[in-house]
Amino acid sequence: MPRYAMTIDLSRCMGCRACMVACKVENNTPEAHFWMYVFRFEEEEYPKTRVWFLPRPCQHCDNAPCVKVCPVGARYKRDDGLVLTDFQRCIGCRYCEVACPYGVNYFHWKHPDKAQYLDYTDDPEVKSRTNNTMPPYRNPDADLRYGPEERLTAGAHHYRGVIGKCTFCVHRVEKGLEPACVANCPVRVFEFGDLDDPNSIVSQKLRTNPHFRLLEEEGTKPRVYYLMGNPPSPEVRQVMPVKGGKRG
Amino acid sequence: MSGRAVALPYGVGRISLGWLALVAIAAALVGVGAFAYAIQELEGPIATGLRDWGTMGGATWGLYVSFIVYFVGVSFAGITVAALIRILGLTYLRPISRVAELLTIVSLILGALSVLADLGQPLRGIANLFRYARPQSPFFGTFTMVIAGYLFASLVYFYLAGRRDAYLMAQYPSPLRWLYRAWAAGYQDTPEEKARHERISFWLALGILPLLVIAHSTLGLVFGLMGGRPGWFSALQAPGFVVLAGVSGIGHIIVLAALLRWSLGLRDQPEMAAFRWLGQALLVLGIIYIYFTIVEMVTAGYAGREHEQRLAKLVLVGYYAPFFWTGMGALGLAIGLLASQALSGRWSIPLLVASGILANVTAVAKRLIIVVPSLTHGSLLPYGIGMYIPTWVEGAIIAGLMGLGALTILLFMKAFPIMEVPAPVEEVRP
Repeated sequence: MPRYAMTIDLSRCMGCRACMVACKVENNTPEAHFWMYVFRFEEEEYPKTRVWFLPRPCQHCDNAPCVKVCPVGARYKRDDGLVLTDFQRCIGCRYCEVACPYGVNYFHWKHPDKAQYLDYTDDPEVKSRTNNTMPPYRNPDADLRYGPEERLTAGAHHYRGVIGKCTFCVHRVEKGLEPACVANCPVRVFEFGDLDDPNSIVSQKLRTNPHFRLLEEEGTKPRVYYLMGNPPSPEVRQVMPVKGGKRG
Repeated sequence: MSGRAVALPYGVGRISLGWLALVAIAAALVGVGAFAYAIQELEGPIATGLRDWGTMGGATWGLYVSFIVYFVGVSFAGITVAALIRILGLTYLRPISRVAELLTIVSLILGALSVLADLGQPLRGIANLFRYARPQSPFFGTFTMVIAGYLFASLVYFYLAGRRDAYLMAQYPSPLRWLYRAWAAGYQDTPEEKARHERISFWLALGILPLLVIAHSTLGLVFGLMGGRPGWFSALQAPGFVVLAGVSGIGHIIVLAALLRWSLGLRDQPEMAAFRWLGQALLVLGIIYIYFTIVEMVTAGYAGREHEQRLAKLVLVGYYAPFFWTGMGALGLAIGLLASQALSGRWSIPLLVASGILANVTAVAKRLIIVVPSLTHGSLLPYGIGMYIPTWVEGAIIAGLMGLGALTILLFMKAFPIMEVPAPVEEVRP
């Protein structure tokens, strides 16, 4: 059984947020839901100002607070380390969201179909650009069930009133592909692989680079390792936050 | 029903204009709440002011969760008072025993309904909380001990404690005789039965007391165990919840007891000694709660991590200060009123009622202060601050639940004596 982990090389990230777009397209996340989010930080004062970027997927913690508090076991950790949500079991209490210190959970405040960026049901604006046809927006892979448990865990377009978050693109990982953010980064910030395999790229990177994990002091034991940088200090200012609004 | 009908005790079966007006108001509130809930079900939770914390800049939990905690808190005192009457033999409290037990049951049901209002998938909630229950989740205690065990134990206690009166009421000719007979279920108030009942009630009360401390503690642990949430992670959460539950519950009982005494035109029931006991209990619990709050704020503000300090400042002098100081000011005023009465030895029902209302203002304000600021301003990552303004839908649903509680109590008091029927009434047997 692999032990999946992700490395994020902060010295490479230029804050283009292509990973955020890739995630949205791959997982059909509704408006204002950012399963992958890239902080843009500013530190110190002019002329010493420094701008840097910190991508924030779900940390897929080994000691995940969200898994611990879920009253029905809808949030669970697989043997390979992926922390997933069973959309058919989730009751929508949002306890996972308040327990998680990373802010990676997004609740479907309305049906995901009604919170897409475009109206995929029947939008004349879209039709005028696509030769009068409506393109499908749903990723069909996300409708399948994965893992030995065969639970509905991929994608973000299933139900209203349930929680969703980054799945490390379980539907791609199961096919031997990398998560969408990893595959689409233009400068190879992310690597994804098996910690138990000494030759995997994540193992190699962790051997040769200084690294940290976010909010390690909380005892969550994240599976996401940040290379070549430091955790955000209390003095950092977030610049250009997403204007997700309150549409949800 | 028959020409020999006699007036039933405590206004049972007698419909007055005032009662009708109250029922109409309560029913109207229930109607508005049901309408708001229908809107929430049609549109989804988007109809509330709640949103995700983090990039969305909202609060994940808000009014509903605050009122789950509040309603469950109110339930505390009812059954405590009922149990203490048995265990400590406080006979002068007996007249308020039933209304206290009823308050416990009604507020627990309202707490459970608030949970349903908050859930994104309420029907799944009802099924899955049983099907896939996980004792590792702090919610497990809320659902099992509070809403199942505690409610069930209270219902059994309520039923047993009412059997004697049901038997006595069945002696009167009335359209509800079938109910009294069913409730009494063969009980005839013989000395042996009485002794057996007393014994069962005593042990049940003894069992309920630890159960309710555990139940209210688990509710506190829902927040207190969250290490990654400044403002919540505290060993004081559980005992704080127990004490604040007592404050709000006893406040409620005082108000209800005074309302009964006034509306039923009773001059000496519940007697002043009962009010004095309740006032003293409220005074002690209120002082303990102030002490807890001071300790909590000193710990967070002095030695706490940076995020804890920031949150403590926000609550004490920042954005949330008006809520915090309204709550603490109300409690301070209540304690002042109670202490002056205790010192002078002269207790006044209007002042006690004012203290009870003030105690509940504190309970609501403090619950909001516990739930919301940690979500809007308690992020350990630099997300920026959030905002939460409840919508009318949330307010209407909460008002509807309160209306439902009032309606239940109002209807109950016309069907069953709201206080223990004092004297044996065998002589009126038709």
